[in-house]
Amino acid sequence: MHFHRSNQIRVLMLVLALVFLCACGKTAAPSGSVTEADAEQRTDKTIFAMDTVMDLSPFGENSAAAAEAAAERIQQLEQLFSVTIETSDIAKVNASGGSPVEVSEDTANLLQTALEYCEKTDGALDLSIYPVLKTWGFTTGEYQVPGEDVIRSLLEHVDYQKIQLSGSSVQIPEGMEIDLGSVAKGYTGDQVMEVFRENGLTSGMISLGGNVQVLGSKPDGSDWRIAIQDPEGGEGFVGVVEVSDKAVITSGGYERFFEEDSVTYWHIIDPATGAPARSGVISATIVGESGTMCDALSTAFFIMGPDRAAEFWRTYGGFDYLLVMEDGSLIYSEGLQDCFTPMEPWSSNSITVVSK
Amino acid sequence: MKKTSFWVILICVIAALSALALLWQHHQAKADAVIANVYQDGELIRSIDLNGLTEPETFTVTGPAGENEITAEPGRICVSHASCPDQVCVNMGWRSDGGFPIVCLPNKLVIEIESAADENPIDGVVG
Amino acid sequence: MKKITTKQLTTMAMLTAIALAIHVAEAQIPAPVPIPGVKLGLANIVTVYAVFTIGPGPALMILVARILLGSLFAGQAVSLLYSLAGGLLCFVVMLLLKKILTRKQIWVASVIGAIFHNIGQILVAIVVTGTPTIVSYLPVLLLSGIAAGLFTGFAAQTFIHRMDKKE
Repeated sequence: MHFHRSNQIRVLMLVLALVFLCACGKTAAPSGSVTEADAEQRTDKTIFAMDTVMDLSPFGENSAAAAEAAAERIQQLEQLFSVTIETSDIAKVNASGGSPVEVSEDTANLLQTALEYCEKTDGALDLSIYPVLKTWGFTTGEYQVPGEDVIRSLLEHVDYQKIQLSGSSVQIPEGMEIDLGSVAKGYTGDQVMEVFRENGLTSGMISLGGNVQVLGSKPDGSDWRIAIQDPEGGEGFVGVVEVSDKAVITSGGYERFFEEDSVTYWHIIDPATGAPARSGVISATIVGESGTMCDALSTAFFIMGPDRAAEFWRTYGGFDYLLVMEDGSLIYSEGLQDCFTPMEPWSSNSITVVSK
Repeated sequence: MKKTSFWVILICVIAALSALALLWQHHQAKADAVIANVYQDGELIRSIDLNGLTEPETFTVTGPAGENEITAEPGRICVSHASCPDQVCVNMGWRSDGGFPIVCLPNKLVIEIESAADENPIDGVVG
Repeated sequence: MKKITTKQLTTMAMLTAIALAIHVAEAQIPAPVPIPGVKLGLANIVTVYAVFTIGPGPALMILVARILLGSLFAGQAVSLLYSLAGGLLCFVVMLLLKKILTRKQIWVASVIGAIFHNIGQILVAIVVTGTPTIVSYLPVLLLSGIAAGLFTGFAAQTFIHRMDKKE
């Protein structure tokens, strides 16, 4: 019998030869594709504003100009929101002695949103808690545990419902002082994203003193990987969330605290008691589209504790949250199931997924 | 001959998929990989931060089939000597990326470079 | 089991000797690519020939004898395990394929057999070293297996057809 060579076999040989050549060629010159990512333009800018370090990392052709514009915008907002800058809108409101004060559009916008969250959280977030915070020394570093009567008299002036906002006019009662510290960085993040977009960017990440917000996806199309710091102060992370076009904001007692008589007092004050919030939560993270919302709710959820947080989330939704509890357990909403990966040792602790 | 074309196509598909996988592996192998993990019998016996080295380091691993001498340098690692006859692990030469692990099957030795792509670097930290 | 005739025994002995010679000779040639498992596997020509001409029982005996003696002469005890796993898986697959392939498609059995040979080797390697990441070698080994399988397959097919003509 004669040895038969069919056309198919010739085709097979040809295809395989091509495949091998291609594979060999690629093997000989590995990592050729890395340069593509490096060629993608990126600007890293670090600035100091709002009492913290801010890292801006916009990507794209126009990133240098965008970073510059974002830095300017941040400085501008700081001039409006800071309680310590005498000419700021907030300082003027606090010094008004009860009379109405005209504020900028940004301040009015932020106040309006913040007051909505004060309302929705039933006062867990309260912009007028500032005098209590000051008395504890969290704004100055001169820490002290105030007496109960001191707190009681301070709390008399704590009531966000007495903050009157109509148009761009703000009025607070005499003796009250407000502070946007719990929402200002979140709002600033939203504004920086806006500046990035106006500059034609589609990708970028910023960290405003630990508040992370990302524009789009990474230049390679994958999600940004944001690690959540270990609230117990270890080197590790609670886990990693993978997100695009989101703000990821955490409030934790570890950010600013002091110890006295082996009791730890942290800077997140429960407006209901005037003392550091003890809800069992040691870190509250909110993942959502609006930085302002995430910032406001991370503080509020820290104070509200797991039950009220779950109730809030079920009522309003539109975001996801993660609570790290004192006993090391994790509680998070179901939307995080797909994009959050807990790390050791948290991953082997008790994990509760909250569903609607 | 209809059946022959089925086999031809099947083999071509397997070959093409393998080639794709190979290309993908090399795409993944990024230059900023740094950690070399030395496993013997599935157990991690050494973990070396290659970029943290300032001078070459040599150590010997003894397995059922003899000895492997491993040399690590800043950014790369290789098996420099082996007592086995086939010397495949020595011939594999220096590794600096996560493409393939170096393996010495007789000694159940595997040197794996943890590529940055595997490690999934963290872009930002919130807290 | 059927009684083995002297002719069969002689054929088996001869084929084992040829396979062993090829096996040992190939082991002397340095590996073309420094990747463990990548080799031509010329001794497989004999296995293919045996599977398609003298039946499964004798073919299996030739294969096992060649691998045992081969690793005794050329390799180490551990490599026996890899060869045996790959060789046996390859053998089983070729035996199954023999039922559905024509005499012009013998090369297909060799290629598919080679693919399974490599899969078997990797499985054993994963178990022995306890390192699942060795799986990353699969694409390279599949490519080299297909190439080697094509070569040995056509060699075996040509050989079988020539022998047919002679008889």
